[in-house]
Amino acid sequence: MTISRINIGPVHPSTHGVLRLVADIDGDTVVGVEPHIGFLHRGVEKLVENRMYMQCPPYFEKLDYVAPMSYDEIYVAAVEQALGVELSERAAYSRTILLELQRIASHLLWLGTMSNDLGQFFGMFMWAFRDRDRVLRLLEEVSGARMFYVNMRLGGLVRDFQPGFDERALEVLGYVERRVKEYERFIEKNPVFIERMKNVGVLTKDMAIELGVTGPVLRGSGVDYDVRKDNPYYVYGKLNFKTQVRSECDCLSRYKVRVMEIRESIRLVREALRIMPEGSAVGMPTRLIIPAAKNRIVGVSREMPRGECFVYMVADPQRPYRLSIRAPSFANLAALGEMAKGCKTSDLFAILGSLDLVMGDVDR
Amino acid sequence: MSTGDFVLAAMQISAGASGMAAALSYALTVLLLIVAFDYAFGWAERKVIAKIQARHGPTYVGRFGLLQNLADIIKLLSKEHAVPQKASSALFTLVMPLMLGLSIFLVLLVPFSPDLLGPDLGMGALVVFVLLSFMPLMAFVGGISSGNKFSSIGAQRSALMLMAYELPAMVVLASVGALAGSYGFLDIINAQALTNWFAFTMPLGFVVFFVAMLAELERPPFDMREADSELVAGWLTDVSAPYFGLALFVDYTRMFLGSLVMAILFLGGWAGPVLPPIAWLLLKAFAISFAIIIVRATTARMKLDRLLRLGWVALLPLAILNLIITFMIFMR
Repeated sequence: MTISRINIGPVHPSTHGVLRLVADIDGDTVVGVEPHIGFLHRGVEKLVENRMYMQCPPYFEKLDYVAPMSYDEIYVAAVEQALGVELSERAAYSRTILLELQRIASHLLWLGTMSNDLGQFFGMFMWAFRDRDRVLRLLEEVSGARMFYVNMRLGGLVRDFQPGFDERALEVLGYVERRVKEYERFIEKNPVFIERMKNVGVLTKDMAIELGVTGPVLRGSGVDYDVRKDNPYYVYGKLNFKTQVRSECDCLSRYKVRVMEIRESIRLVREALRIMPEGSAVGMPTRLIIPAAKNRIVGVSREMPRGECFVYMVADPQRPYRLSIRAPSFANLAALGEMAKGCKTSDLFAILGSLDLVMGDVDR
Repeated sequence: MSTGDFVLAAMQISAGASGMAAALSYALTVLLLIVAFDYAFGWAERKVIAKIQARHGPTYVGRFGLLQNLADIIKLLSKEHAVPQKASSALFTLVMPLMLGLSIFLVLLVPFSPDLLGPDLGMGALVVFVLLSFMPLMAFVGGISSGNKFSSIGAQRSALMLMAYELPAMVVLASVGALAGSYGFLDIINAQALTNWFAFTMPLGFVVFFVAMLAELERPPFDMREADSELVAGWLTDVSAPYFGLALFVDYTRMFLGSLVMAILFLGGWAGPVLPPIAWLLLKAFAISFAIIIVRATTARMKLDRLLRLGWVALLPLAILNLIITFMIFMR
């Protein structure tokens, strides 16, 4: 049969934004697929060179609009390292809690979009969004915004948790835990879902390491690597949690890793809420005049919902001199061609969904 | 049955002037029924799925959003019909009206109540089934002729799927025919009487037939030809608004036909106490449509190769098993 070349995207229901794929298809088999990126490039790395330090977080949040808090945090952490700002104990705890809540929200959204990619008519999508909304309301309570929080300040947060936040958070966590259990049953007992994910998009351990994928995709390929565990920041070292690793290397194992991570995050937040010390988590005011940077060159590595993100910054006194981001989605996208080789046309979208791409993150 | 017999049977109703009037009034009644069902189904599908998905569904136009579909129809029909440059214009334009005609014609062959009957062909179930399998072929032509690659992939899927579900459905139909002693709808209904539903006598056959029907109607999880998260809109990708509306109408009419046929073959047709026969038939058809909606809302889309495997490895052996069991128990 002749090979036909089809163009998927940049506007397509399953590319989660503006990813363009050019796929060569032989009958129903994908021979090769080539991603074209850059439709959402906003030049953030350059933009921040002309902004004061604390003017930049909003730009960062828009990189990953599914998990803005984590980008907010990684940038502020880089600046803190450059300026030598110390965090109070409570601030470290509250940041950990917020990051994990953000991870839960992000993974829930992924669960919805993934099952939509598999052709489940929006049911799981709506349910996951409904539950994610409960988590977002918690984040809203803390930051005042639902999507782009801009909630980090040097040395802490904009404001401390409201009184009673613990109880509300625990209630939401219980709700999400119940729901996730239900969704697991819904998906794992449905032979169609299993069939669509099992042995689809296999990425072997060696290949995963070679291609440099990160996060759940890496752990779904059997590599035990999680920045939170292997290079702990904030209070992750003090908290009790397991890295979720699966060695089946297919879409199903990536699904399982993410669902289990929701569970682990719930446990993490519960524990952190329990042992969080009293004190103040409030950071410095934004308009602080910043003295000369302590460390001129800093690098911060964080485990984001999508994988390991690394921010490299050369610091000037008032603004970043140069900043570079190693984005998790970008690294994961690199594995698409390898995974999609030889799969069926329908599988291509299952694989794409299992990567959990955010195009803002890919294009920066 | 040869084509000649078929034409003859179809012409029976139009014999004579009074026959002509009767045929016309029958056709109009059925057409009204089709429109009513399609409309009601379109609304119910939106509402039921919305409820499952924790949404509200249409609420603004009319009470409970009842007029939303009317608004959509007006919108779809008032838009321009455009033919893509790459499309082979004649085929592309003709296919949809042909499908519409065929689907309505097929519903005309189904009896609704003892007083509302089309021509009794003596083997109506068979005729309906054979003609129903023309639909994927027409969709194939429509998809290929639009010149869009997504459409042609959808079209190829549609034609390929035929191989998976047609055989098991036919084998189950054979066991229904064996039980009833005929392929005529009337005989099948009479053979089941009030409670002796074939769904009870051969549950296995009913399940196989339901799954095969889902594929035949190209409803999720077997909607590979549309596959909106993969192929944009599959065979309808390049179709403009009025034709998209027509395609929806054809699909809903096919749903109606499929539900009616299942209600007649397995749920005793119009037999039932108290209510008039036609009400029973429509109720049963609605119940089956409801099941189809629930399936749509809760399961992912199958892959084409998996469907083929399902058809040949699971459905066909089960259908044959059902046939053998039926013969051994009821046909001594």
